[in-house]
Amino acid sequence: MTLKRATLWMVPIIVIGVLFYWPMTRVLSEGLTGDWLATLAEPRVVGAIWFTIWQAIVSTIICLVMGLPAAYVLYRRRSPAARLLRALLTVPFALPTIVTAIGFTAFRTQDVWHTGTAAEGFFDSPTTWIIAAHVFVNFAVITRVVGSTWVSQSHDTEEAAALAGAGRLRIFWSISLPQLRPAIVSATFTVFLYCTASYGLVLVLGGGLVNSIETEIAIAANQFLDLQEAGTLALLQTLLSILAFAISTTGTRSKIGFDVQDADDGKRPIDRRDLAAVALTWVSIALTVVPLALIVLRAFTTDSGTPTLENFFNLGTNGARNLLDITLGQAALNSLRNVVVATLLAGTLGTLVAYLLTRPTRSRVAHRFNRVLDVVFLMPLGVSTIVLGFGYLLTFGGGWLPLRSSWLIVPLVQGLMALPLVVRIVQPALNAASEELAEQAATDGASAASTFFRVELPMAREAITAAFGYAAIVSIGEFGAASLLAYGDQATLPTVLYQLVSRPGGDNYGMAMAMSAIVIALTFAVVFAASLPAKHRTRPQRF
Amino acid sequence: MQIKNTRMRRTLAALTTITIATAALVGCSTNASKAVAIASHDSFIFPDALINQFKSETGFYLEGGAKLGDAGELTNKLVLTKDSPVADLVFGIDNTFAGVAQSNGIIDGELVPIDYADVCFNYDKNWFAKAGIPAPTSWRELTDKKYAGLTVVENPTTSSTGLSFLFASIGALGESGWQSWWSKMRDNGLKVTAGWEDAYYIEFTAGGGSGTYPIVLSYSSSPAFTVDAADGESTTASINNECFRQIEYAGVLKNAKNPAGARAVIDFMLKKDFQSALPDSNYVYPVDESVQLPESWAKFAPASQSFVDVSGLDFEANRKKWQQQWRDILESK
Repeated sequence: MTLKRATLWMVPIIVIGVLFYWPMTRVLSEGLTGDWLATLAEPRVVGAIWFTIWQAIVSTIICLVMGLPAAYVLYRRRSPAARLLRALLTVPFALPTIVTAIGFTAFRTQDVWHTGTAAEGFFDSPTTWIIAAHVFVNFAVITRVVGSTWVSQSHDTEEAAALAGAGRLRIFWSISLPQLRPAIVSATFTVFLYCTASYGLVLVLGGGLVNSIETEIAIAANQFLDLQEAGTLALLQTLLSILAFAISTTGTRSKIGFDVQDADDGKRPIDRRDLAAVALTWVSIALTVVPLALIVLRAFTTDSGTPTLENFFNLGTNGARNLLDITLGQAALNSLRNVVVATLLAGTLGTLVAYLLTRPTRSRVAHRFNRVLDVVFLMPLGVSTIVLGFGYLLTFGGGWLPLRSSWLIVPLVQGLMALPLVVRIVQPALNAASEELAEQAATDGASAASTFFRVELPMAREAITAAFGYAAIVSIGEFGAASLLAYGDQATLPTVLYQLVSRPGGDNYGMAMAMSAIVIALTFAVVFAASLPAKHRTRPQRF
Repeated sequence: MQIKNTRMRRTLAALTTITIATAALVGCSTNASKAVAIASHDSFIFPDALINQFKSETGFYLEGGAKLGDAGELTNKLVLTKDSPVADLVFGIDNTFAGVAQSNGIIDGELVPIDYADVCFNYDKNWFAKAGIPAPTSWRELTDKKYAGLTVVENPTTSSTGLSFLFASIGALGESGWQSWWSKMRDNGLKVTAGWEDAYYIEFTAGGGSGTYPIVLSYSSSPAFTVDAADGESTTASINNECFRQIEYAGVLKNAKNPAGARAVIDFMLKKDFQSALPDSNYVYPVDESVQLPESWAKFAPASQSFVDVSGLDFEANRKKWQQQWRDILESK
């Protein structure tokens, strides 16, 4: 039994060892050679570190201010069209970040309405748009994570307090907040993590003049060919991410809690005293819709503003002045192929890891072993795609595993990024399943395999489906690693979109907008479909 | 129970297959065939008619090209991937990055000059006529208050056009003077973009977009592409004073799968047909002096005669330092 389990463990351990720990070791050794301390003292590097941290803090605070009222209105209260609005707010989070970046460049060039005003400098600054974009992408994380906890809290205490005459804010402050604190802390540091590790947004909106640690890593590698500096920055970025990640998971272990099925019973409808919260929620909704609408609008107009469908017809071309090595259609096929491979890799391996981690441990050694492996498989969550992409470039360029020249390198790195997410989503579901029924099945004489396939798998089906969905989202939107690893005819949708938006002129900008509009439409469709209530939950088969 | 165990095994088998397939696919690559791949910067165009001509003349055909960013990014990415190169030859490494290519040993043999281009400032003739301000005759004047908020340049960290001019400014003003010139430019409302396309098509007043900057860092050849059909005159002009001559090279990549094909491409690039197509397709001057320039070029886009002497500058040793110093100036707004 144990021998069998150890054999099963070998597959994921080898995969994560070769595809994650080996390249990370290369980054580590590259980053700690030479004068790495001097690198950290360079004013440019210090500037990038400082920018990364302060913009992440500001973005996170704005996300909290916007996300909490929305969580209250859409999860705690009974609101009209709550399910629809929740889904709407999730769209930016699920969109490939490069699409968001493209959308916000459209904002930036609309400078007619603020030129000459006192706020001109504010609106002209790339920093403003980077923070705005970070809020746009991430505040749904606050809303959903906090909302999912809020939804399941008892209403009794609050109602008692309300009867005693306490106002909404006071109730929130002294009753709801303490209960919500673990969820808020978790969501806050998750958002902080995402804001520090965002690459595409800073790259496109910063225009090379505003840089974060992430873009400096790419500049060090691509522009300066300074691998030691890239490595040192990568280490720093990883430390920062792991720190944020560690804080985000303390206290709320095993809860990604991104979506809950909640019944409407017991919830009070919104009333007049919720006005402020409702107003803020509508502001958030407007701020979500406007950039998306701007992209779609721009997709249907020419550079000079006349309506056209030309941008969509151009999608079959290689862009103005033959900029692209392949058409957007071919890039979409590459992305699709990568998604399938990455999702299968992350989904199957992740489920296997989650399964193995939820097996009851009899000995103390086995228990420790599990704890260690748990962390081992979570680590990729704390590493940004650009860092891992850089590690792949160092490790798989030649040597005995020259993966770099194969198309597989991109889906492999993407699958690896998604692997810990799958484990985190599937593990709690399997845990619940195994506690409830597995032992009963075992006493009935079922083997481990049949218990898994007949009992646990069906019970965890929803979670596993969700996990595959998340893996697909991660893969399709992944830009950092692909930008370092996918060349020529292996370009992916995000890397091609980046080429188009960084080389505007002619039809290129319009093409980027048209493709972005299509991606937005698809994301809408998927997110709304996923938000529909599950009609029939599968019951475990009896045997 | 037996059946269910089989399902388990199948899952395991699938996992193992993925792992093995990964290893297998890595090793496989097509044998040296007739296909040749070119790695180039983003702006390179191999005209369609010439692609066919190349195929019928040599028997090789172009396939799987890779555009890797600006000249700097192109060079560096080729260094980072030199053990298993993404193409057979490179086009577009310029004289500011040739040293990087050579010192890192990515080229098999020599870098061969194919064309050149002169990095100069351009201005919008109509804008200056309308504003009643005399157009600048040298980029040194751009710090003047009357040109405040009129100039857009490319970032030398992300654009080879920008980098060329940074070198020109250092060559012209010396180690002691270039930084103060750039500080004055910053204070005079200098706009910086990441790439040439952003500067020319988006920010420049005469680049087809709705830009607001009538002076742009571009090329001496650019005015040939802004000829007004109505009066046959170009709407822009180049300040052909103290420019930077950018020479573009091609070279066979070390470890190329098809070095013979790569050589055939380079030979073809030096032939009259390709050379005479360079101005219209790539906005550059052919390296072959005997090739006649198109008419509009002779009229509106003569090559510059005035260059900054950069022979005393060690690009290799100082590039990063200068780029950093430039960033420190421009970012300390």
